[in-house]
Amino acid sequence: MKPRATVATDAERTEGRTAVPSGEDNSDEDGARARSRASGPPARPSKRRGKKTKAPFEPGGITRRLRFRRDRTLILMTVPAMVLLLVFNYIPLLGNVVAFQDYDVYDLGITGSPFVGFDNFTRIFEDHRFWEVLLNTLVIFLTQLILFFPIPIAIALLLNTIMSARVRAWVQAIVYLPHFFSWVLVVTVFQQMFGGAGLVAQWLREHGHEGFDLMTNPGFFKFLVTSQAIWKDAGWGVIVFLAALAAVNTDLYEAAAVDGAGRWRRMWHVTLPALRPVIALLLVLRVGSALNLDFEQILLQRDQVGAGASEILDTYIWWTGIKTGDFGYAAAAGIFKGLFSVAMVLGANKVAHMMGEQGVYSKK
Amino acid sequence: MTPNSSPSSTAPSRRSFLASGAFAAVAVAGGAPLLAACGGSGTASGSKEGTTTGKALKKVMPSYAPTNLVQPDVPGVNGSSPGFTKLPDPLVASVKSAPGKGSSFRVMTPLWGTVPKKDNPYYTAVNKAVGAKLGFDPQDGNTYQDKIGAVLAGSEIPDVMTIPGWNMQGQIRNAITAKFADLGPYLAGDAVKKYPNLANIPTGAWQYSVFGGKLRGLPMPNPVIGNAFFYRKDLVGSGALPASADDLLAFGKEYTAPKSKVWAFDDLWTCIQKVYGLLPDAPHYWQLENGKLVHKIETQEYREALAFARKLHDGGYIHPDAEANKDADSKIRFTSGHVLMYNDGTGGWKGMVSEQAAANPKFDMQALDFFAADGGKPVLWQDDPAGIFTFLSKDLPKEKIEEFLGIADFAAAPYGTKEFMLTNYGVEDTHYKVEGGVPTFTPQGIQEAQPATLLYIASPPHTIAFPDEPKLVQDYAGWMARQAPHVKKPLFFGMQVVEPQRYASLYTPFDDLQKDIRRGRKKVSDVDAAVTTWKNSGGDKLRDWYQDLLEKNGSGV
Repeated sequence: MKPRATVATDAERTEGRTAVPSGEDNSDEDGARARSRASGPPARPSKRRGKKTKAPFEPGGITRRLRFRRDRTLILMTVPAMVLLLVFNYIPLLGNVVAFQDYDVYDLGITGSPFVGFDNFTRIFEDHRFWEVLLNTLVIFLTQLILFFPIPIAIALLLNTIMSARVRAWVQAIVYLPHFFSWVLVVTVFQQMFGGAGLVAQWLREHGHEGFDLMTNPGFFKFLVTSQAIWKDAGWGVIVFLAALAAVNTDLYEAAAVDGAGRWRRMWHVTLPALRPVIALLLVLRVGSALNLDFEQILLQRDQVGAGASEILDTYIWWTGIKTGDFGYAAAAGIFKGLFSVAMVLGANKVAHMMGEQGVYSKK
Repeated sequence: MTPNSSPSSTAPSRRSFLASGAFAAVAVAGGAPLLAACGGSGTASGSKEGTTTGKALKKVMPSYAPTNLVQPDVPGVNGSSPGFTKLPDPLVASVKSAPGKGSSFRVMTPLWGTVPKKDNPYYTAVNKAVGAKLGFDPQDGNTYQDKIGAVLAGSEIPDVMTIPGWNMQGQIRNAITAKFADLGPYLAGDAVKKYPNLANIPTGAWQYSVFGGKLRGLPMPNPVIGNAFFYRKDLVGSGALPASADDLLAFGKEYTAPKSKVWAFDDLWTCIQKVYGLLPDAPHYWQLENGKLVHKIETQEYREALAFARKLHDGGYIHPDAEANKDADSKIRFTSGHVLMYNDGTGGWKGMVSEQAAANPKFDMQALDFFAADGGKPVLWQDDPAGIFTFLSKDLPKEKIEEFLGIADFAAAPYGTKEFMLTNYGVEDTHYKVEGGVPTFTPQGIQEAQPATLLYIASPPHTIAFPDEPKLVQDYAGWMARQAPHVKKPLFFGMQVVEPQRYASLYTPFDDLQKDIRRGRKKVSDVDAAVTTWKNSGGDKLRDWYQDLLEKNGSGV
């Protein structure tokens, strides 16, 4: 792990904490974070020195070997995480070779299937359905980014103003709760509430209005999935920001208040700047996983509005791979998705750097 | 065989499973030997694509020797399933001694319901009776599709594995050819007579169990027609029943009352297709017109059926949850009276009636007689002759295969035999009690014997045998007897056709398209563009492929 501590320790602490809550489901990230957690804080002193002198030798005149001996306990502690990462993330990556094969999963297997070069990839470019699906994915992602992303921040700021610890704990528990519901349950609850025979439509009918059906409207679908995501996960997303807020030095508020700053001024000049690195970090991560929408949520509601509005990259890959058995093409689409995501992370990180933020990583 | 043509939803699988009927019995139903009709020479056996007919097929077919142990109370006519209203006394024995030799078998089957405990008294009794140790590993039937894909792709497949026909999507048929044993040497011709209950299975079902040129499956035979419109007779009253497409619209208009949370219909697409005489799905989606194959999606009926289904949507007669594709709850919507008519597999009929008997004594569900859209006689395409198959691993040694076929013979014992009572009801006084000639499950029986998995191993011909619901037997068998004269065989009836992989996803878009049209998101005229795309991206080549198949192998009619 490259040294990365360039900003204040506060920010780093909060960053360390992001590992727990932000419910992004990318297991690579989890693994990476697990490592950073395991090795991060204790190794900090050496890193900090390392930043000052960029010599091939480690700072303080310690050679690599000496450093290895000194840190061996820590390294041992990271081994389980490394092994898991290797077994469940890196070794399976080799299976991507089927993207270059006319893969027959049952009879010939990976070793026996004939290689077809880039045929599966050229098919992607001829497949207009693929591009429709990619567009769908990006549209839903953008809708979620604009409408969903700011909400946990807003809730965190609100929660931060609640002074009574009791009330705050209650509110937190309530907003966290939906995170633990499965998507099946969430979709059912929405159907019972906003479906054509749901509570709201039925109430309207009883009062002499036309009923409506939000669940089967393809144009509304992107907002539907966004509002489901907000209901389910906004509360959970709050945790990261609350942690960042807790790290803000209360002296700053006092000093600002003494200087005559009102509530808004304090939020603008103290609270938000403190949150900025976390926001930037999460934004970069979110953009990086732009193509990873909630597979289960979408799949459950795919036939509700038709594939035209609801097919996303993941469901499309699942459909072609698992359902029709075209694993080679599905793997090629998966690789495409992976490369696209890497490009997005790099791009977003670059933007974060340009804005003076640290982002996910930095080269220095 | 997917009566409800949606591969994405899991509910139809269960329904169609129930349609195939977990209860069974003796008499000859529906299975007139089909071989005479199959001309031409067979395709090379062992080839992955295509089908097997003619001489190649004849070579692997078991002989047919009906046992006729118990006479039905309602005889089958024109291939309809016979009905049994009472339990014979005394029960007949169809298997002389325990067939097993004490070997162990790992058996993977689907199960729709709660998985019973391992080593429970039911399994112990069954293992004792068959003389072997069957280690059942039942998996949720609704997600079975995903599991078999993974299991077959792995290197350790179970000794015995049940695969429903509707789960054979994608490359599963290829996997079956690659991984499972050829049963031909043990069953072909008169060899099957060693297993009298297997010889009681009609030839059509065996023919449909041929994969890659070899007899590999032990079939569960299907009734000739397994889906119906069901309506709530107790709620509809004694008024005239729909007998044409227009009547159906009028029915919708009369009974839909959203204010009181009542809609006339659930999703009726499966049966609307029957009203319009629409061809079934792969490989039956072809018909011959002037010597040329015409695909279902190219027919006028396809457009008419969609236009009609759209009218039901536009009228607002369909329950909104059904419009949101929530198929899994259709039974609940029907029993709770929110929907007055829905379509379902007929196999679910019994379960619904038994379940509602206590909850709502007035509950009366009846199947509607089919009609053509204009009110004339319908064309009902016959269901596949078998719906669920059980396969043996090709790694099993010869002796173990023979041993297991003996167990399959036990499992295929027909209604009215001791073996049937054990496999379907369990041990008397532990799992069921007989009072006045009617067997009733005990609570233990409901937990252990009712979710029986032994019957998937092999089954007798389809029968309607509910000694506890004699009225239902009359209704059900009567309904099927009335429909049977209209049943017609599709062109490739009873043939396991493996399409080339490159055409596998051609038809998939139409599943989405028909839903989009029926639910008001696209127009009927959009079918034309989709058909053009289909033709250009391989549809015409697929047609040639089938034409070739037809010329080489003849049809299944």
